[in-house]
Amino acid sequence: MLDALIISLQLALTTTLLLLLIALPLAYVLAFVSFKGRTVLEVIVALPLVLPPTVLGYYVLLMIAPDSWLGSAWASVFDSSLAFSFSGMVIASVLYSLPFAVQPMQQAFRAVPKSWLELGKTRGMSIKPMLRHIILPASKGGVLVAAALSFAHTMGEFGVVLMVGGSIPGETKVASIALFELVEMQQQQEAAQLALILLAVSFVMLSVVYSINRKPLVAGS
Amino acid sequence: MNHIRITTKLGSLNLDVQADFAHEVIVISGENGAGKTTLLRCLAGLEACQGQLQIAGDVWLDSAAGFVKPTEQRNIGFVWSDAVLLPWLDAQANITLGVKDGDAAWFNQVCEALEVSPLLKRKPAMLSTGEAQRVALARALYIKPSLLLLDEPFSAQAPDIRLRLRQALKDLQQTLDIPVLMVSHDAEDAKVLAQQHWRMREGKLMNSVASTKVFATDARR
Repeated sequence: MLDALIISLQLALTTTLLLLLIALPLAYVLAFVSFKGRTVLEVIVALPLVLPPTVLGYYVLLMIAPDSWLGSAWASVFDSSLAFSFSGMVIASVLYSLPFAVQPMQQAFRAVPKSWLELGKTRGMSIKPMLRHIILPASKGGVLVAAALSFAHTMGEFGVVLMVGGSIPGETKVASIALFELVEMQQQQEAAQLALILLAVSFVMLSVVYSINRKPLVAGS
Repeated sequence: MNHIRITTKLGSLNLDVQADFAHEVIVISGENGAGKTTLLRCLAGLEACQGQLQIAGDVWLDSAAGFVKPTEQRNIGFVWSDAVLLPWLDAQANITLGVKDGDAAWFNQVCEALEVSPLLKRKPAMLSTGEAQRVALARALYIKPSLLLLDEPFSAQAPDIRLRLRQALKDLQQTLDIPVLMVSHDAEDAKVLAQQHWRMREGKLMNSVASTKVFATDARR
């Protein structure tokens, strides 16, 4: 049980860190750039919200299978299989939680006052300094919400990680799957404990989100 | 010499401005909706317009050739009618925003002249409207702009400090030797500060270039 919890936490942490890096350019583009195919990109980012996790897991599995482009490239570099591995689960989790990271950041970026962006331009700022000095400090709350939601959502995954990870004890068996197996084996007491822990983690994460949303998003104002 | 020949349409406003000016202070007055702020924004490159702009020997806009110099390359000092200070930075960091290896002596000179030196460690939330306005003016001057654009920069100042600020602005303008365009409803600003006084109505300058030159014959120079 402890093994599974640790794997869940590791997965959630890795996924959250990667997601922040990936979501930043996506949120920036969706918030500030108008281009052809924008709607398509928005739909793709939002898809995991409505897609059955098993469907997403199925496609990720195809993508990382040993005979796939990504799977064989991974195997030749790391000499290991991506399917049914922790790394494979990370890829799946990143895709699965993508909207939870992108959407709060996108909304926060859009809420940055136009005059602040204009100010940045009069200071000679290109995209990178603008992000560093104006957009990100102004969107701190949105970035924190993105991180908290990504973390909580990854902790709560079931279908995707089962498809892609395969529930290998000590490797890819995460807490939510462990709970399912505990119930199946009628280990009531341990199941109750694990359920309570997962409930508490979700409660804490959502409390963080809601308390940030209540406060003004800009530090110091 | 600086040349402006620009037109633009924004909502119900048809801006059509032609003017020449030296490195001098120009006060722009006119009713609400006359296009004063839009003119400043066009010069800053924050609003799209057609025509030609030549400022300080540099071409900023040449629609015939399809050339537009982006705002971030124009080296502009812009003061919005509200201060537009970043709330998470103290006054000093707001003034030096985006500038690496700034000129410390110039910083002190600007801050002394505009009476913001005692305010430097304060966050914008701890500044009065008038103080915030002076910090915004210091910020615009600190970068040693090629063109200074001011939208009612003294509107929140008490009468006594307004007198001193006019003199300070004049001194700083002469030190930098740059053109200053200043929107103001205060007749004293035009009388004391301006070498040219432009009156705007429905997007156009009511006094021609020639007449402004006559008008602007400045006894104090």
